Amino acid sequence: MAHPSQLGFQDAASPVMEELLHFHDHALMIVFLISTLVLYIIVAMVTTKLTNMFLLDSQEIEIIWTILPAIILILIALPSLRILYLMDEINNPHLTVKAIGHQWYWSYEYTDYQEIAFDSYMVPTQDLAPGQFRLLEVDHRMVVPTEAPVRVLVTAEDVLHSWAVPSLGVKMDAVPGRLNQTAFIASRPGVFYGQCSEICGAKHSFMPIVVEAVPLKYFQDWSTLMLEDA
Amino acid sequence: MLRLVSGLVSRRLTPVCVGGARAASHAHDVSPSVDMSKPMYWDRTDVPLPDKRFKDELSAGDKSLKEKEKGSWKHLSNDEKIALYRLSFHQTYAEMHRPSSEWKTVLGGVFIFLGFTGLVVIWQNIYVYPPRPHTFEPEWQQKQLQRMLDMRINPVEGFAAKWDYEKGQWK
Repeated sequence: MAHPSQLGFQDAASPVMEELLHFHDHALMIVFLISTLVLYIIVAMVTTKLTNMFLLDSQEIEIIWTILPAIILILIALPSLRILYLMDEINNPHLTVKAIGHQWYWSYEYTDYQEIAFDSYMVPTQDLAPGQFRLLEVDHRMVVPTEAPVRVLVTAEDVLHSWAVPSLGVKMDAVPGRLNQTAFIASRPGVFYGQCSEICGAKHSFMPIVVEAVPLKYFQDWSTLMLEDA
Repeated sequence: MLRLVSGLVSRRLTPVCVGGARAASHAHDVSPSVDMSKPMYWDRTDVPLPDKRFKDELSAGDKSLKEKEKGSWKHLSNDEKIALYRLSFHQTYAEMHRPSSEWKTVLGGVFIFLGFTGLVVIWQNIYVYPPRPHTFEPEWQQKQLQRMLDMRINPVEGFAAKWDYEKGQWK
């Protein structure tokens, strides 16, 4: 989750998110360089006492400020495309989870071996235990094993929703009548929070997503427990 | 070059109404019409040399000074040089670049609007916003922070990364 007065991204919990962080650093550096240059030019133009109205053309600088931006754009595009294709690689998931958006909660189904299915409602503010996070906690978290490629099939039962977990670098729209696939690998154990990312009615801000990544043994214990409870 | 300059200038300074004879028929003009077909005088840093000198009618003393100017300039005193400048030009560069007090008005206006906005915000806080959720209370925030540390939230660079777990304090 985000921490107080955070400015940047949350720490990455998946390899894809790490790549996205590095790409963002790269692109932001370029943006800062260009903005600094432009700001300097503006200040220089405004504060100079020199005037020259009769500059009509200059081929050299025109060539430079056409070629240089093209090169900068290529320098941005190449890493960007690399990540784009990286995200689409075949990943042979160990586990498939279905995340179904409703108004206004998520439900998760683990149907690879047996049927585990449960709803995930936000814990209302007045029901929070001391220290829990307002508008982020849910009653049943989506538990996944660490270091395992997980496929998530996202859909919706009624209106558009979007299943997003920033620290895993995942966001996928939940469209009624459509199955969208996304995948992630949780590289470290932990609890990762997200919120519904497509306006879906009155309680759109109150249907969070919580993914709990645990070592495989604990995942197996959890799924056994869930099957017993069902 | 001069023709290019005057051509550019006359093209840029397009008049509202050309020709003094037509001035009477345009009595609703916002500004008095200026006949730009005749040589004009101006004080500008970007076009430093106007069409004509500043002072049109020269007195006898001015005329004799102009004659003296035709000789060697070493014979001119400082005052004479200044007088010659004032014949040709209205303002010096220093006078053209003189500071104005406009910035005080602008800054004052900005502060007035900021102050007004502050009043609106205060009114909002009192009369519009619902009471704050109980999770903002210091005890809850403390428990929340402790829970975030226990859960190792953002342990790489973000939050838990800055806590020294051995010493039990911030790094």
